[in-house]
Amino acid sequence: MRRRLTLFWVLFVASVKMFVRNRLAVFFSLFLPLVIMLIFGVLNFEGGGSVSVGLVDEADTQVSRALVGAIESVDTFELSTGDRQSELAALGEGERDVVTVIPDGWGEAEDGPPLTAYVAASAQQSGQIGTLILNALVAQVLIGEQGAGVGPLVAVETVNARDLGYIDFLVPGILGLTIMQLGLFGVAFGFVQMKRTGALRRLFATPTPAGYFLSAQIASRLVLGLAQVGILLGIGMAFGLNLVGSLALLLAVALLGAVIFLGMGFAVAGWAKNEDQAAPVANVISLPMMFLSGTFFPRDAMPEALRGVTEFMPLTYLNHALRTIANEGAGPAEIGGDLLGMAVWAAIAFLLAVRLFSWE
Amino acid sequence: MTEQAIRPAVVAGAPILVVNDLRKRYGSLQAVDGVSFEVAQGEIFGILGPNGAGKTTTLEMIEGMRPIDGGTATVDGVDVARDPRGVKARIGIQLQASAFFDELTLVELLDMFGQLYGREVDELALLRDVELDEKAGSQVRTLSGGQKQRFSIASALVNEPRVLFLDEPSTGLDPQARRHLWALIRSIRDRGHTVVLTTHYMEEAEELCDRVAIMDRGRIVALDSPQRLVDDLVGRGFRKERVERLANLEDVFIDLTGHELREGEA
Repeated sequence: MRRRLTLFWVLFVASVKMFVRNRLAVFFSLFLPLVIMLIFGVLNFEGGGSVSVGLVDEADTQVSRALVGAIESVDTFELSTGDRQSELAALGEGERDVVTVIPDGWGEAEDGPPLTAYVAASAQQSGQIGTLILNALVAQVLIGEQGAGVGPLVAVETVNARDLGYIDFLVPGILGLTIMQLGLFGVAFGFVQMKRTGALRRLFATPTPAGYFLSAQIASRLVLGLAQVGILLGIGMAFGLNLVGSLALLLAVALLGAVIFLGMGFAVAGWAKNEDQAAPVANVISLPMMFLSGTFFPRDAMPEALRGVTEFMPLTYLNHALRTIANEGAGPAEIGGDLLGMAVWAAIAFLLAVRLFSWE
Repeated sequence: MTEQAIRPAVVAGAPILVVNDLRKRYGSLQAVDGVSFEVAQGEIFGILGPNGAGKTTTLEMIEGMRPIDGGTATVDGVDVARDPRGVKARIGIQLQASAFFDELTLVELLDMFGQLYGREVDELALLRDVELDEKAGSQVRTLSGGQKQRFSIASALVNEPRVLFLDEPSTGLDPQARRHLWALIRSIRDRGHTVVLTTHYMEEAEELCDRVAIMDRGRIVALDSPQRLVDDLVGRGFRKERVERLANLEDVFIDLTGHELREGEA
């Protein structure tokens, strides 16, 4: 047993060295996602974790002015005021996270029109914080003025806004992308090379069963993948990422995703005779997913038909699950659909890998 | 070639390798068709033959790298069909020179191969044996062709094998590197290892091998020492049209360029 562990450890260390010294594999699977993330992160650097709030006071009463005063005193808010039309336009452009409209007649009667908060869909994190604070402020102001409980305080409306670079949206997508690249390219390139040169045959000439080397290779990819997830999360936080959900669940989902794409990588590596065959196939698998699985921008923006087709891609499930955990703090039950889809893909990839894999 | 050239394929001393009626079929092609021979401990044994004669398939079956259809092969008393891993533990196999993980250094690779045999390895001593100790920390991809060949032999020696199998060890080497390799193979034999090799170069077989088996179409058509095979042929009345010159072009080449190894480029 001890000897087996030593052997596994030696092969694991060798596998890690092989990977990190292979510039092509490192570039595509680790460096590229990092660069993409840095570029998007810097372009959309927002700083401070503040919530950008647009305020429209159409009531202009004593009560509404009291609320405006309360809102102005909140440090977290980066406040701008204007009329409904211009503020909603700014929201659509991604310049506001939340636009609050105090309608005419607000606060004068208990059944009067509610205060409305328009939240950008791409800024739900900030939007949630914003509406929470608004709710508290409205309750405070109204209770102070009327001394009684009131109905719905703030009506929340989600608005689709363009805000591609928002770090909370981007980071989970980049995580998914990294996992895909690491599995697909990290395995496909490395293993095909070992097959072509005969290095795998050379291992087969020793009395050690091939499974040791295979499992060490898989383990090294999983560990490197998790390390990369950690690095990307760290950088994301530096850019103001709010990780709402459980880190453990996030890593577990990342691991399940890695199993899918490692399986696909081994299937490609098993089928291909050399790198020239492996590269196009790996690209054909990864490129559509990179752009259609909600990595860089929300899939809501896609045409209906395309959305239907891409809904069942493995990276779509992975990205959605990671994003729902990171942004909304979802538990396992809330991402059950994604987990099911990923489990099915993992099974498919595993079967393909077993069928197609060969040592020579 | 006639049957007369085949002498009993049994050796006087205790054989370390015994091959009996080995067979392998690929579809309609009988790749190996009843091959039998023995190799004595401490011998350098050559297998010659044109491409497709079945040399490599024969070796791979003996090495436990390919399933055997019929017949038996026994290495150091271990039957390869029954215990392929037991055979693999007792032999060293040198495959193509490229068959290494490019990103690891020579020392890392030898250490890894040692582990695969369950052994601690003195990497530097092994590298010194093949004159590569100066390259210990380099990655394989930085080696020249001859250096790669020597390294692949070093990697085949990590488990102190009873029998060392070399598949076309000198292919692609320049004359200097080839001579260097011959000296290395002789020194390995002198340390008590038995060597079985395949080659396309008749000069190499004559120079190195104690005995050679000549294969064609999956069968052994001659088996003896190089000198005896030549004597047999001459005895049957064969004469070269031109009398052998006292030197050939390779002698000229070596005379002009020396024995010094050239490994700066490549």
